[in-house]
Amino acid sequence: MAPPTRAGDYPFAPVDRVNAELFTLTYGAIVRQLLTDFEEVEEVNKQLDTMGYNIGVRLIDDFLAKSNITRCSEFKDTAEVIAKVGFKMFLGVSATVSNWSADGSECSLILDDNPLADFVELPDTCQGLFYCNILCGVIRGALEMVSMRTEVKFVKDMLRGDDAFEIRLKLLEQVAEEYPYKDDE
Amino acid sequence: MASTACFVIVSRNDCPIYESEVGTAPKKDEAAHLHQFILHASLDIVQDVVWTTNAMYLKLVDKFNDLLVSVYVTADTHTRLMLLHDSRNEDGIKNFFQEVHELYIKMLLNPLYVPGSRITSPFFDTRVRTLARKYL
Amino acid sequence: MIGVGRSKQNLNVVDRPLGKGKTEVSLSAFAFLFSELVQYNQTRVDNIAELERRLEDAGYAVGIRMLELLCHREKGNRRETRLLNILSFVHSTVWKSLFGKVADSLEKGTEHEDEYMISEKELLVNRYISVPKDMGAFNCGAFVAGVVKGVLDGAGFPARVTAHFVAVEGQPRPRTTILIKFSEEVLQREARLG
Repeated sequence: MAPPTRAGDYPFAPVDRVNAELFTLTYGAIVRQLLTDFEEVEEVNKQLDTMGYNIGVRLIDDFLAKSNITRCSEFKDTAEVIAKVGFKMFLGVSATVSNWSADGSECSLILDDNPLADFVELPDTCQGLFYCNILCGVIRGALEMVSMRTEVKFVKDMLRGDDAFEIRLKLLEQVAEEYPYKDDE
Repeated sequence: MASTACFVIVSRNDCPIYESEVGTAPKKDEAAHLHQFILHASLDIVQDVVWTTNAMYLKLVDKFNDLLVSVYVTADTHTRLMLLHDSRNEDGIKNFFQEVHELYIKMLLNPLYVPGSRITSPFFDTRVRTLARKYL
Repeated sequence: MIGVGRSKQNLNVVDRPLGKGKTEVSLSAFAFLFSELVQYNQTRVDNIAELERRLEDAGYAVGIRMLELLCHREKGNRRETRLLNILSFVHSTVWKSLFGKVADSLEKGTEHEDEYMISEKELLVNRYISVPKDMGAFNCGAFVAGVVKGVLDGAGFPARVTAHFVAVEGQPRPRTTILIKFSEEVLQREARLG
């Protein structure tokens, strides 16, 4: 199937929607619980990433079904799809892809608007918290299901005073998809 | 602007979560303590008035010599905005309360803020003082 | 860096306008998040009661905030001081804002004077989650019970709020009833106000 020329042109089926305040406050309640359950902010970042991963591995089917996208084999196209279609479909905002590394294995997703962070101000006790870290896990989990092993992390965070949210995406390994059941040995 | 004005937000268990002296009179510690004491003493009256009206702005609820106590209770009835002042300016006070209430909602919506805990944001403090200069 | 000061200022919550509550995200984004909330909390508890209590706590944090926000935005800064009014606020205003519709019903308990029930044929949080058999009567509605408790408690109407499945004749799936049992002080005050 020929890929559309621009990633943003992918049509997707209308999706059921829910009040963003419910979503934002529920996410906030989760972060609050984690901060209570774990003393170290580092551990909270890790837990958020794990939760995101769990979501990502399940969300990919929903995404592929609703977006009419078969599968992207190129990392470059994949990044565009996440930014323009994925974020738009689930969170109602879109991201920009930029800062590609020379070898094309790393790029950044840049978000100016992020419904997870509405209302949030980091108190002094939470310095070091990547409040929206769940997003990294979601992307990592979803990509793993389409055979891309990645490292995903925040490098800029508006809640920490940066001018945007920047998620760094690094492709570590791409498993050839044609032979999903191949035995290595 | 009022020469004496002391503003306090009181939360659950009558715990103050924010306070500032916002009048033009020189700041004195003993005066500040007295002001807080007077405001605290009015809480019982507020408790009675609060169930007799749907309005958040309860207007004047108490006085102490020439000092007056005006109160505004938010939707969460535990949150009481209290102002001790020495000049009558009902509309100004109402506007002040309403705008501080909106600021308070923004503080409260922050999931990392625990309802009923102290408001420590310097941005909030700066804004409250600006509103006091504008309206009181 | 140029520009950082400006954007940082944009970020202070006090400078951001309160939204009108019209922004939306996809329902599946919420469903995934909510199911992760449930699964995470399952790993932190030994029994169902504890799990429900933790979900209730999470909901409470949402409810106490929505009370303040909605009274400001939808009610023009009027407080609810009477029991039936606050119940109708929950059943209509809160439900409509959070779940996009008013609740299916609001009824007074037939056996106890201090009990009220808000029922929903298919509560948003139960729509995508099927409870494993070994979890018995566990109801994700505990989260919504927490929301209701947060609203009521904040407004000065402390109550015990719980979520229950109730079988409906002729329907394959049970509905969820949020049972509200008000504290004695609330009923005494109501009686006093006449």
